[in-house]
Amino acid sequence: MVNDLAVIGLELAVVFAGLGVLLADLWLPAARRPHLALVTAWVLGLILLASFGIEAEPVRTAFGGMYRLDALALFFKRFFLLAALLVTVVAREFREGFEAGHAEYHALTCFALAGMMLAASAQHFALLFVALELVTVTFYVLVSFPRRRVTALEAGVKYLILGALASAFLVFGIALVYAATGTLAFEALAGRLETFTGNRLVLAGLLLVGAGLGFKLAAVPFQIWAPDVYQGAPFPTTAFLSVGSKATGVVLLLRVLFEAVPSLTARSGPLLSVLAGLTMFYGVLGAIPQRSLRRLMGYSSIANAGFLLVGFATRSTEGVGAVLFYLAGYVFAVLLVFLVATLVWRGAEADEIATLGGLGRRAPALAASLTLGAASLAGIPPLAGFLGKFLLIRAAVLGGAENPALYWLAAITLVAAVVAIYYYFGLVRAVYWGEEAGSASVGPVSRSARAALVACAAGVLGLGVFPGPVLGWARLAARGLGL
Amino acid sequence: MNAFLTWLVLLAPAGAAVVITLTALRRPATAARWSIGAILVAFAASLVLFRAGATGETAVVWLDLPGLRVDFGLRLDPLSLLMLLVVTGVGSAIHIYSWGYMRGDPGLPRYFAGLSLFSFAMLGIVLATNLLQLFVFWELVGVSSYLLIGFWYERPAAADAAKKAFLTNRVGDFGFLLGIILVWSVLGTLNLAELSAKLRAAPPAWGAAATAAGLLVFCGAVGKSAQFPLHVWLPDAMEGPTPVSALIHAATMVAAGVYLLCRLFFLLNAPALEVIAWTGGLTALLAALLALQQNDIKRILAYSTLSQLGYMVMAVGLSGAGGHPAPAMYHLTTHAFFKALLFLAAGAVIHALHHEQDIWKMGGLARKLPVTFWTFLAGTLALCGAPPFSGFFSKDTILTLAWEREHYALLALGVGVAALTAFYMFRLVLVAFTGPAKSQAPDHAHEAPPVMTVPLVALAVPTLLAGFWGIDRGYARQYGAEAAAAHGWAAHLFEPFAHAPMAAWGGLLAAAAGFVAAWTLYRRAVSDPLPGLLGAPARWLRDRLYFDELYAALIAATQDLLARVVAAVDRWVLAAGLVRGTAGVFELTGRLLRHVHTGNLQTYALLLAAGAVVLLWWTLAR
Repeated sequence: MVNDLAVIGLELAVVFAGLGVLLADLWLPAARRPHLALVTAWVLGLILLASFGIEAEPVRTAFGGMYRLDALALFFKRFFLLAALLVTVVAREFREGFEAGHAEYHALTCFALAGMMLAASAQHFALLFVALELVTVTFYVLVSFPRRRVTALEAGVKYLILGALASAFLVFGIALVYAATGTLAFEALAGRLETFTGNRLVLAGLLLVGAGLGFKLAAVPFQIWAPDVYQGAPFPTTAFLSVGSKATGVVLLLRVLFEAVPSLTARSGPLLSVLAGLTMFYGVLGAIPQRSLRRLMGYSSIANAGFLLVGFATRSTEGVGAVLFYLAGYVFAVLLVFLVATLVWRGAEADEIATLGGLGRRAPALAASLTLGAASLAGIPPLAGFLGKFLLIRAAVLGGAENPALYWLAAITLVAAVVAIYYYFGLVRAVYWGEEAGSASVGPVSRSARAALVACAAGVLGLGVFPGPVLGWARLAARGLGL
Repeated sequence: MNAFLTWLVLLAPAGAAVVITLTALRRPATAARWSIGAILVAFAASLVLFRAGATGETAVVWLDLPGLRVDFGLRLDPLSLLMLLVVTGVGSAIHIYSWGYMRGDPGLPRYFAGLSLFSFAMLGIVLATNLLQLFVFWELVGVSSYLLIGFWYERPAAADAAKKAFLTNRVGDFGFLLGIILVWSVLGTLNLAELSAKLRAAPPAWGAAATAAGLLVFCGAVGKSAQFPLHVWLPDAMEGPTPVSALIHAATMVAAGVYLLCRLFFLLNAPALEVIAWTGGLTALLAALLALQQNDIKRILAYSTLSQLGYMVMAVGLSGAGGHPAPAMYHLTTHAFFKALLFLAAGAVIHALHHEQDIWKMGGLARKLPVTFWTFLAGTLALCGAPPFSGFFSKDTILTLAWEREHYALLALGVGVAALTAFYMFRLVLVAFTGPAKSQAPDHAHEAPPVMTVPLVALAVPTLLAGFWGIDRGYARQYGAEAAAAHGWAAHLFEPFAHAPMAAWGGLLAAAAGFVAAWTLYRRAVSDPLPGLLGAPARWLRDRLYFDELYAALIAATQDLLARVVAAVDRWVLAAGLVRGTAGVFELTGRLLRHVHTGNLQTYALLLAAGAVVLLWWTLAR
């Protein structure tokens, strides 16, 4: 038991950080509570640092094999910690948008983070479900956190009801799998799967599980909620949704597809490729006419889910490594965009892209940061986003030797990537060539926000120019799946 | 430790460029301190590395994928060590001089940022371990050269010159890039050490592509080192500030082409080398002829640079298969010293005369500017190949090489160019520094401040003595050839006359003849007597043999035709058909998609469930 607790040390630290923030909020005088954001950020940063002291080899398990600490889990835990850390900085800048309860926001971020980190290690459908629900339930609150705003409440209700529907699919799917095979552990399931070849019950169950995870990922046909919820949620929540929540779906899908049911995945035909293509095109086409930044990012999030699915569709170590690297570049670029957006609009509700007009003159540094983020998302070399897309397409082309359908997928990905440039540069165009929208100067940028901006910009550039180390981790983590 | 120092050499100027751009664009003194400090640090680190005789490679992996591995590495060997010293040493003198020469210019921080960026790029070329990395820095050098030539961008001539330099270089670089791709596709690696080992182990691996690859790589050198027929950009590049001309367009960047050839010497086979030798020889002759009738002090020096680069390229070509191009590098090194000196001294003259560059408006400057005069004279003597100046020894090794290879045509050409060189250089010295003042400008001339004269004196030292430092033996070590050193200074001085008397005496007598001719014609001249003597050919030479006009007409004709075709394709096929059409289709679908998102929760739930049903049906019902 004590051994088990040592293995889940990182998650425990995060949970205690969340509880500590809640308690501190009770005892601190009101004037000092705003500092809690910085404390949270520092603690998350320290946990992130500590995570580098943990060795992935040998692989450790806890709770009778339900929980597994391997290279893949570590990669995602670090990813989630980084995302939560940056989201906390965004939330601090957004504080004017919350009437009260800043500390609760940071605590909830920590709890969601704990759920994500547990999900990264899931080896059992029970842990998968519990971790996922921890994330989802926390997000219901985070989405509707500015509780006097009708848009936020509407987004929260939509997310709640559609999320509940998706959870229902998920639980039903798990139940079907259990009914057919009698086990919920991934390893045992992988061992027994051969005896259930052609069993429709198992197949239906797994598809329903996939529906639940696809909802998290915002992949077609479970993408419908994303634009509305993204648009209504406060900026930090939107950022966390598009990075953390999506990556939870990615890691769970990886675990289920390649660890629980590898033989079924190998025989899944063009299903993943088709879903990837549809998701990409749904995202990029939907994004084109958007005028609200968050709604645009919602469609962009769908498109990126599609790009990630390309890596799944290759069913190769190369492809999965590319997925992980893509996510690493994605977190920096998305947070860069949301940081700048938060610094420009502060807690305001509006987020019309047109009101960014003239930012290039009002705040050249912010404008440059936003451009960097958008350019990376659009996949312009030498930024991280370019290399991520390059690796994904390369993996598809390499896989094409065995599975010619992947050549088509590579071509489609290329087209989608080109179309994506179109709407991201709408952002850049508004910033530099848009009509001057109000002469209100952008307020002073706090030191923590500046540090986060620099870190994100360095990440976007560094991953593009010196991808070596992170690419090494990504490939190492991908190899653990044994493809 | 050595690895750290090597990285320091490369990254110190890069750091300075970044810091200046980010923080010091309005603080000239800070910018100058960063830039000068960085190059001095790089110089000191290079000296330590050279003293330690450090060799080897240090690399970080830049991209590692199965089947494609690209390193970012630094390579130390005798060749790169000596070149490091040249770049950082001459660079240091010029950085310091710039602080005096450019004082008061409003764009000074931008200037120093550009200079540091250039140093970074040049050091990157010197240290590169693979062709891709080399090419990246090669282009970066082109960019920084563009920025510095066009430093006074408000002057149309400078802006045009910058554009011309950049575009002309691009022509050469295109060939270079094709060469790199060819090498990669045939040999499967871009790493210099691996390439060299591969070719040594199995020469036939190369096959028929050898000559093509060698000549394509040479294209890059033709562009950067301004060899015929891409020589037209270098004289115009003199529109940049004079220290820039000294550093980039005399001592280092234009030498990068020669350095490239020496670096990739193992790639070049006999037919390619023959072409290279003749290109170099022709450039040397052509440039020397053009220099005869120039009146702008910097342009004369620019043509002499072209001519000397021609010598170096010729030396590479003459080395022949089985030989080694150490003489080319030797001349590159001494030339870097004395040509930088000449440019800086010319800069001191221009500075003293308030930006007067016409030598026919100077005269009698020897008395007004003694330090400048004596250092300029030292540079001139070195350039003409007078013993015991460094230029004598390096030029002699080239002529000796031609003699040993029994390439008498090029030997005669080299000797002839030596005579022309002495003639036009002493024309410059006699008209500008001696004789009567030809305008009012020289009356008010004053010697430059110490921050400018000290670098002059510092560069005069190697100009005089570098011939005795055994630099040629240092380079020969790179190619595994050990030459015995002559014992004692006197023995070293007379060694060339004993070793290959024809070459040594030929070069020396030619220079003397050129000097005598210049002395008789220009001793007391107030205007140029040469057009009267030569007639129309003098005018052709003054107008640079109409290369610029020819290229302009040629380019205009082809470009007009191409532009018409491209415009038609662009307007009717691309713009109307592809772009508008595609964009229209995407826009339309995007707008249609919007109607799915009604915002109605029941609809959403229905769609979600329908999605799951479709998925189930698609998988299970088939």
